Amino acid sequence: MEIKVALAGQPNCGKSTIFNMISGIHQHIANYPGVTVDKKSGFFSVGDIDIEMIDLPGTYSFSSYSLEEKVAKEAIINENPDLILNIVDASNLKRNLYLTFQLLEIGVPVVIILNMCDVARRRGITIDSEKMSEILRCPVICASAAKNEGKTEILDILKKTDEIKKNYEEFKINYDELEIYISEIEKTIKVNDELAISKRWLVLKALEKDQTIVNLLKADNGNIDEIISAQRDKFHDTFDRDVESFLASFRYENADVIFHKCVNETRKGELTFTDKIDKFVLNRWLSFPILLAVIVIIYQSSIVFGYKLTNYTWPVFAAIKNFISDITPAADISQIPMITDMAMWLTNSTIALLNYLPIFFILFAMIAILEDVGYMPRMAFILDKVFRKFGLHGQSTLPLVLGGAFVGGCAVPGVMSTKGISDDRARMATILTVPLMNCLAKVPFYTLLLGAFFQKDMSIMLFYISTVTVLAALIIAKLLTSTVLKSRETAPFVMELPPYHMPTFKGVIIRSFERVWIYIKKVCTIVIAVAVILFALLQFPGLSSEKQEHYNQEEAKALVKFDKAVKKSTYYEKVDSREEVAELLNLYDGYRAKKMGGSKDVDEKYQAKNPDMYKFLVPKADAEAKKINSALRKLSTDRNRILREQKNDKIESSLLGMAGRALEPISQFAGFDWKINVAFLSSFAARESAVATLGSIYESGKESVEAANADENLRPEERMAKNSGYTPLHAASIIIFMLLTPPCIATMIVVKMQTNSWVWMCFGMFFPFVLALIVSSIFFSISLAAGISGLAAMSWYYFILLAIVVILWFVPEKRINWSGGIKGSKI
Amino acid sequence: MHLGLIESGNSCKIKALHAKDKLLQKLLDMGFVVGAQIEVVREAPLYDPLELKIHNYLVSLRKSEAELIEVEPWR
Repeated sequence: MEIKVALAGQPNCGKSTIFNMISGIHQHIANYPGVTVDKKSGFFSVGDIDIEMIDLPGTYSFSSYSLEEKVAKEAIINENPDLILNIVDASNLKRNLYLTFQLLEIGVPVVIILNMCDVARRRGITIDSEKMSEILRCPVICASAAKNEGKTEILDILKKTDEIKKNYEEFKINYDELEIYISEIEKTIKVNDELAISKRWLVLKALEKDQTIVNLLKADNGNIDEIISAQRDKFHDTFDRDVESFLASFRYENADVIFHKCVNETRKGELTFTDKIDKFVLNRWLSFPILLAVIVIIYQSSIVFGYKLTNYTWPVFAAIKNFISDITPAADISQIPMITDMAMWLTNSTIALLNYLPIFFILFAMIAILEDVGYMPRMAFILDKVFRKFGLHGQSTLPLVLGGAFVGGCAVPGVMSTKGISDDRARMATILTVPLMNCLAKVPFYTLLLGAFFQKDMSIMLFYISTVTVLAALIIAKLLTSTVLKSRETAPFVMELPPYHMPTFKGVIIRSFERVWIYIKKVCTIVIAVAVILFALLQFPGLSSEKQEHYNQEEAKALVKFDKAVKKSTYYEKVDSREEVAELLNLYDGYRAKKMGGSKDVDEKYQAKNPDMYKFLVPKADAEAKKINSALRKLSTDRNRILREQKNDKIESSLLGMAGRALEPISQFAGFDWKINVAFLSSFAARESAVATLGSIYESGKESVEAANADENLRPEERMAKNSGYTPLHAASIIIFMLLTPPCIATMIVVKMQTNSWVWMCFGMFFPFVLALIVSSIFFSISLAAGISGLAAMSWYYFILLAIVVILWFVPEKRINWSGGIKGSKI
Repeated sequence: MHLGLIESGNSCKIKALHAKDKLLQKLLDMGFVVGAQIEVVREAPLYDPLELKIHNYLVSLRKSEAELIEVEPWR
């Protein structure tokens, strides 16, 4: 037998813990089309009954004003569950019963599960569940999911679903004054027979002007709007009350009745554990240091410690990379087959992103813990006033911090954590500003530039870089919320501060894995697709025939040199053909790569694989082999040089190179040449590649072999300072561009996920790009004209932004989305 | 008298709600119904939102919204 069970409850009632307790980990997330709120389903069996359990988002009510409520309501209407499990926080019964009454009226049998009974007991609250069951005429079970109590009782009830359904009789509340209006509507409208939901409930919802239900009824009743308005007006005229507030009061009164009959509180009025903690956490003077400490802990454990962990995961990825380079067709001296090239490009792109997995895992676990503990809303409570001034919301704190409000975060978890922000406008503004933060991958880029151009002023520049992002984000948020996002809905800041809880280990692990898994899926699909496109853009149209001819000659020269050096060796017949040399060269490069990668028993493996050639790789005392080894080393250097030059030429003449050149007339105002443009364009795939591209472009700027060899020993930043012809002002302009530059693909994917719109994704891409270009152009041109140095220009930029933020702070807020009231009146 | 004028640590009782639409529904759902008792626990460190205790749980509310709730002092 199959049954479908819906799990409903208010936020913070421990619904997910119950879900995890009874369903096990076996579950999947189903995204409803058009919304970003998750509906989770778990499939499991009890005896011979197969159960599908739908975990609805937590809602305070079933009205139509929030996304969660809409998803929950639509799931109940569309999924047609056999049973509703209503999870109730036993330590906060009265408010939780408010939702219970709404669920009872739906017309589907309800089972009440009093969760967190242990917490309630500790607070001196005892609930007479039998009495409650009698009054509400539905089963009531005491449970404590965090302690694994109540599992068998719940499963027993699920086994009896059939029996419960057979004995079920519709639950009705007598609404006194409202009754005549309800029956009036019930008589006039038609309802689709296929709906398993109580007609009375639909009427009640319609009377509350619930848009989802009104639309549902519209199919059979074209004039539903008029019917509803007429009855609402009549009620209002007679009793001088709105239906909404009447129903709410009525349900609360009923909840009060249950509360007084079934609950016994022995420690009423005493300070709870939560009250005591809040005295410190929300204290005017202590709250900020505590907040700072929490942020530092998140940072240390995820970014710093997580980064250390990547040392352990990296060899795994390096092994995958080596494996792929082993199975793809081998290179022939300086001709690398395109398929090999592409496989390596894809592998590198994917690995660059997957490399952050340990960081993400720890980060997600920390967020899950903060969510469970109940600190998140308190964080919003503390900082709401600051963020509100700039169109953001108290709940924007965490996303911005995760994105790298100082140095070193990641926009992906940042954007993902905007989900909970109830205010749509602030949520959108947060999603669009999080990518402006300094992500971990931007750091090597800054280090490169600072090392090359600001060696003396490194610390002050780093300070500017790390704090200017927040200033810029606040200004941009203000700009966006007062322009493109102006018409977006805002939500009132009515937020529950839940009691503190100990998080459960299982819940934290499950949620972290879930979010990491979403990330992996995205990386492996869309990111790879974009990497392929970028590869093509960098590959085509390829080298001209003259250039190709030039490199062929270079290669021939290198081969002749090698041949001369080894001719007199006794081993000459082993390396006298092109194929043999190519094979040996690949062997040599492969051996070195693996040796440097730190894998074990490389020597044994290579010796076993090719004992003949192994002695050229590691000549030991063999003088003849040594000769070949040193010639081989030179050949390898030559090959790498040719490959590098070839690659640079290819980039320069590629489509992306052309795009870089095409941008030059504009970007020159910002001080960028085409090389920087290409680096920025390619950095879109993943931030890391900006450094890689720049590195490879500047690797050999000089023609002569001696200079190239001398360069070999220079660090990239020194090479850049020497070869690029840039001044510190150029570097500052590049940094400013990078600070505002568009997010990487992975971030864009999550922006798409969170906004559920391609338009916003594109906006999130082009807006920062255009803005960055404009700002850095103004910055560079003015500074150049004024003749000030890079550091001075950066200081100016910093203090101008600071001044704007201060001015915006004092601009009064004008928007309020609701009107009426007794503002300021002292009655 | 509106809720924004009640000092921290004091309690009051809701007389009327002057909010509309979305805010009204939200307030009702969170238990701000006529007759309900509210304790103003504290102000946020930067003086805005308020922390309130209603129906024995904690909720935060901006002052701009608190001004729409008409109350009378309790005891």
